[in-house]
Amino acid sequence: MNSKNLHLNEDQVIRSVVDENDLTATVGSHLSTCLVCQGKKQQIEQQLSTLGRMARELAPLPRREVRLPFDKPRSLWSWRPVFVAGFAAVLLIAGICWYALVTTSQEKMMSQIMRETKKDEQLMAEIYALEEYAPVDLYPDISAESDVGYFDEFLRFVSPLEANQNAV
Amino acid sequence: MADTYHDVTDLVEKARAGNRASLEQLVDHFHKDVFRMVYYRTYSPMDAEDLTQEIFMKMSKSLSSLKDAGSIRPWLFRIALNRVRDFHRKKSILSFFGTTTELEAAAQATAENHNNPANTMMLKEFQSQFRKLTDSLSQREREVFMLRFVDHLGIREIAGILKKGESTVKTHLYRAIKKFRQNPGLHRLLKGELL
Repeated sequence: MNSKNLHLNEDQVIRSVVDENDLTATVGSHLSTCLVCQGKKQQIEQQLSTLGRMARELAPLPRREVRLPFDKPRSLWSWRPVFVAGFAAVLLIAGICWYALVTTSQEKMMSQIMRETKKDEQLMAEIYALEEYAPVDLYPDISAESDVGYFDEFLRFVSPLEANQNAV
Repeated sequence: MADTYHDVTDLVEKARAGNRASLEQLVDHFHKDVFRMVYYRTYSPMDAEDLTQEIFMKMSKSLSSLKDAGSIRPWLFRIALNRVRDFHRKKSILSFFGTTTELEAAAQATAENHNNPANTMMLKEFQSQFRKLTDSLSQREREVFMLRFVDHLGIREIAGILKKGESTVKTHLYRAIKKFRQNPGLHRLLKGELL
C-alpha cells in the first residue's frame, strides 16, 4: 500500500477499531501516520463510545436492593429432617430389640415346656410303674412305722438273721 | 466502595473467606452494571430486577468456586448471561400470554426513573433505535457488541465469557460494527439530531 495515496477503506478502519494489532504491517504503518484515516477510526470509536454512554445513562436504575441470604441460626423447623431421621432410627432399633426379645423368649418358653413335658412323662412313668407293680394291701400295714420296737421284733420274725437263728 | 482492580480483588478474597460486609460491597460495586446488562437483554425493568437478584444470589453461593479473584467481573457477567438465556428460554414458552410490548413498558419505566418528561421522547427514540440495531444483529454478534461497547469488557474477557476464541469474537465484533455503521437512525440520534 502506498501510504501517502491509498487510505484505509471502511473495512480496514472497522478492523482497526476492533483490534489495531490485527492490521497488516503496511496498513498499520499507514494508519499510524495518516491523519485522515486516524480521523475515520476515531469517528467510529466516538460513535460507539457515545452509544455506550447513552445506553448507560438512559437505562433505568435498579429500584430494589439486592438481598443476600443471611447466615441466621437454624430454626427448629430446619432441624426437621434430623428429627425425622432420629425418630426413624429409634423405631428401627426398637423393632430389632422387640424381635430379638420375642425370639429369645419363645425359645426359652419352648425349652421350658420341653423340660416340663419330660418331667411329666417321668412322673407318669413312675406312677404307671407303681400302679403296675403295686404291693398287696398287707405290705403297707407292715411297713408302717407306728412302733419301732415292735417293727424290729416283727422283722426278726419275718426274716430271721443268721445271727438270730444261731442265737435261737 | 471499591474503585480499583486491587480493591475489588481484595473484596473478593475477603468475601470468599466469609466476610459479609465485603460481599455486600461487591454487590454494591456491580449492582448497576449487572442490572443494566440484564435490562438491555430483557427490556423489562421488572424482569431485570428479579434476574439481578438471582444473579447475585448465585454469585454469593458460588464465589468460592471462582479461581482467580481478579476475574470477578467476567465471571459475574458469565453468570448473568447464562441466567438471561434461561430467562429467554422460559419466556419463549410464555410469550403467547404477553399483553403490552416490552419496549413500551421499558420506555415508560425509564421515563419514570429519570422523572424528566422533556427527555421522554429521546429515551423512547433511543431505545427504539437501539432495539432495531440489536435486532439486526445475529445472536452472537449482539452478545459480542453489547459486551464490548455497553458493558465495556475487553476482547479476552468476552472470549472467556462466551467460551470462544478471541479471533471468533473479533470477527463477530467486526460484523456487528459494520451493521452499526449502516444504521442511519441511530447515527442521527448519536449526533444529537433528535435532541
